[in-house]
Amino acid sequence: MKLPAILPVAALVIVVIVASATAGGAPSHFLVTNDDQGTVFPPSTLSFYPIAPDGSLAAPAHVSTGGNGVAGGFFGANRLLIAPNGPDECLYASNAQSENVSGIDIHTHKLAGPVRGSVPDHKLARNGIALAVSATHLYAAFSGSGNIGVFERQPACALKFIADFPAKGLAGGFAESLAIHGNMMIAAYGDGSIESFDVSAGMPRSNGDAQNSTRAQDDYFPDSIDITSDGHYAIFGSGSADAAVQVSDISSGKLTPTLVYTLGTAWNSSSVRLSPDERVLYISNNSAGRVTAAFFDKNTGKVRQGCTSAPLKGYYEQFTYLGAVATGLSTGTGGLLYVPEFNAQKKSYLGVLRFIATPTGCTLTEIAHSPFAGVPGSALLSIAVYPPRPF
Amino acid sequence: MTVQQQRGHCRAGAWRRHSCLLAGTLARAWHFHAASPALLICACCLTLPAAHAQTGCLGRPYPNTVIQNPLDLTASNGVLKAELTLRSQEMLELPLKACYVYDAGSEQVEAPTLRLAPGDTLDLSLKNEFSYFRHHTTPPPPSPPPHDPCTGGNTATTSTNIDFHGLNIPPDCHAGEATITTIENTDPPFTYKFQIPQDHPPGMYWYHPLRLGSATVQLNGGASGVIIVSGIEKVKPEVAGLPERILVVRQQFDDDDPEAWPPGESELSLNFELSVSPHRPSPVIQMKPGAKEFWRVANAASQAFLALRVMFGKTAQPVKLIALDGVPVRKSVDLRTIELPPGGRAEFIVTGPAAGQEARLLQTEVEIGRTGPESDEQELAKIVATPDAKVPPALVGGMPGATAPAPRPAARPTVVRKLYFAEANNGTIGPTRYFLAVEGQTPRTFKPSAPPAVVTKVGAVEDWIIANRTGENHAFSMHGVHFLLLAADGKTLLNPEMRDTVTVPAWEGEGPYPTVRLRLDFRDPRTAGTHVFHCHILHHAETGGMGKLQVNPQ
Repeated sequence: MKLPAILPVAALVIVVIVASATAGGAPSHFLVTNDDQGTVFPPSTLSFYPIAPDGSLAAPAHVSTGGNGVAGGFFGANRLLIAPNGPDECLYASNAQSENVSGIDIHTHKLAGPVRGSVPDHKLARNGIALAVSATHLYAAFSGSGNIGVFERQPACALKFIADFPAKGLAGGFAESLAIHGNMMIAAYGDGSIESFDVSAGMPRSNGDAQNSTRAQDDYFPDSIDITSDGHYAIFGSGSADAAVQVSDISSGKLTPTLVYTLGTAWNSSSVRLSPDERVLYISNNSAGRVTAAFFDKNTGKVRQGCTSAPLKGYYEQFTYLGAVATGLSTGTGGLLYVPEFNAQKKSYLGVLRFIATPTGCTLTEIAHSPFAGVPGSALLSIAVYPPRPF
Repeated sequence: MTVQQQRGHCRAGAWRRHSCLLAGTLARAWHFHAASPALLICACCLTLPAAHAQTGCLGRPYPNTVIQNPLDLTASNGVLKAELTLRSQEMLELPLKACYVYDAGSEQVEAPTLRLAPGDTLDLSLKNEFSYFRHHTTPPPPSPPPHDPCTGGNTATTSTNIDFHGLNIPPDCHAGEATITTIENTDPPFTYKFQIPQDHPPGMYWYHPLRLGSATVQLNGGASGVIIVSGIEKVKPEVAGLPERILVVRQQFDDDDPEAWPPGESELSLNFELSVSPHRPSPVIQMKPGAKEFWRVANAASQAFLALRVMFGKTAQPVKLIALDGVPVRKSVDLRTIELPPGGRAEFIVTGPAAGQEARLLQTEVEIGRTGPESDEQELAKIVATPDAKVPPALVGGMPGATAPAPRPAARPTVVRKLYFAEANNGTIGPTRYFLAVEGQTPRTFKPSAPPAVVTKVGAVEDWIIANRTGENHAFSMHGVHFLLLAADGKTLLNPEMRDTVTVPAWEGEGPYPTVRLRLDFRDPRTAGTHVFHCHILHHAETGGMGKLQVNPQ
């Protein structure tokens, strides 16, 4: 496997970490990639990369998901989720070509599943399967059938299919992305509408707040969703001709009309991710090869212009689209940022950026050794970091 | 009048890939050999419900057929009166057929050429019998009667209308209006009736559907034909007496999923004969050895950008450019590559190869950007030079028509505007919304009911600088008026020519956005009205890449 050029000291650290991982199980700080290759055989893998203190990635452990990806799809769909489940710490991964979901113990790498939904869900999910978890259930938005499959979370990261929930937007769009805070699940549909559900009983029950997002009339459709730690605001990325995000006050338990914030001209802003301290909103400008950082006020929900990176190295030559940002640390502004670089030449990469707040704003720059070129999947869109941020 | 020989069975594409899998499997299972082509043809041509066969499309040429011109329909006593029927035919495992059928009395023909002189009136009746809708969709109910096609209707793949591409005619429901006119398959025949202006440039135009929600599916199925405004030999005497060859490049897709972008595999065809060499023999263009011909080529593909070359062996031959987008060029330069965006036309003189010399018409690979569909090299036709070649009739002189080159726009613009192509994606395979936005305005996908994006008035001379902020080529197309293409990719053109459709190249990910600069002249009071402009990749136009221009009277 090809590793990036790293400083000798960092290399030593990596060796120590890998040795430690080998001797004592999985490392305590790692990044996971969904190695989606879109092929039927062999099954897709997840790669667990130990993260060194300097943010560099060491040789990974590969774990089969037992299913197959579809090599592309919605930018906003969460295909990987890390979530505690009682004594277990689980990683859930969706497999869009085999239309199922895998559960994996992040420490033992033991695979549970994959588990299918209903018979109608067994239809090619060409745009991926978005995942969200509550304390008790996992929800999978099948882009093939349009159903949200409801799975009960069981010990050892296993899943048990309960039933489908046929969720459709106001104009019939399928759910592209899901997010959960407490008992509230929010869905963004492919027709530009959004809706929230009460999932306290497991099966979703609409809160009766289905509505078109404010920019839907311009065909800026919400995509990924993030929710503040206090459940006060929901933030929507947008498939858009510029960097537009939308914020809805959900403190009443229902979605309210979204407020639109345009944060520059970088094309598309489908994927959004709050920093662990909720001061910064990271936005993947998926089609522009850039990342934007905006300042977020968690008390008011207002978003303020920050900074946008230059096009990441290899944009257009090595990759076409960016996936969703993951922060390297679970505190503060998140440390280094990792962002999947979806291939244009049958090979994916991981861009690595550094965010720095300045007196007048911020800078967002790609580090010297970015991108990381060792990703085995050809169609990387989803990554996750352990330990995750606390919300 | 000779009816084009169009009676075929299965198209070449059936042999190429999946479409004959069924037949091939059957043949293998029953121990038939390759010597049983008749059985394979039958299996390939299995149609869906028999009712389609009664009202569907006509057969299209076999592989290796000699290319012939479409049937000509010529105006008589100042009027060309004709009736066309738009039909569809779905065939098992094959792309959908969509066709304009003309009843010539003894037989029916597809996509005739409409020939008019300046001052003639076209009186065209269109009956919509298009019945196809996507399998997993539900056909919308027809609009409640009585339905007025001039007030719009359901956005359905069964609705249609006609855009008379490039003609400088008024934006009227029964003429050049293309966003509201909606002819449903429950409507009676609809009449298009308009006069070709006396001073209209002589050249090649074309007709095709442009109803939002159905245009791409219908065009991909083959619904398109040519319009010739006569008199080009008066402006370009060098074409008088040359055999006049009409060539229409179309493109069919294996999957008509409107949400799939980039789209799936496709094949080009020449006058309805598939060009899928080496999988099947190419269409054949017969020429007299070393003789000159006047070729009039329309890019009727919904997405393909063409870069055509006449090759003798491995050498591209010069061709003499005569007209672009229906307008005779000021300077007849020699070119070795003819570049045509979707919707564009080029007319040029070709000198044939020597007898026995290997020659072909080649579509060369086109750079269309990282996120656009692939565009590979493809042989469109073999050119066979033989003394007894069946060549098309010579261009007849003495037809009415303009005798002077088309007027040019004023030297200086009164207004300069900036527009741009943009896209919004929610994923790697879409859905994608397309924007053709005016800088400074909130970009919005096009809605027929939306107010005009640009308002000007008669007397204005405008320069539009159009940028491409996306990773794929776009084809800017203007209705109602031609424009002078002043600059492309930031470079001033030495020989600017009038156009109605132009490629705006893809952005390569860094540096300034590629631009074209156009000059539009609205000094003629006849330009008043509301015109549309759009990307002529019709999928883009249908998913937002369109705008309205309102020219107010002075």
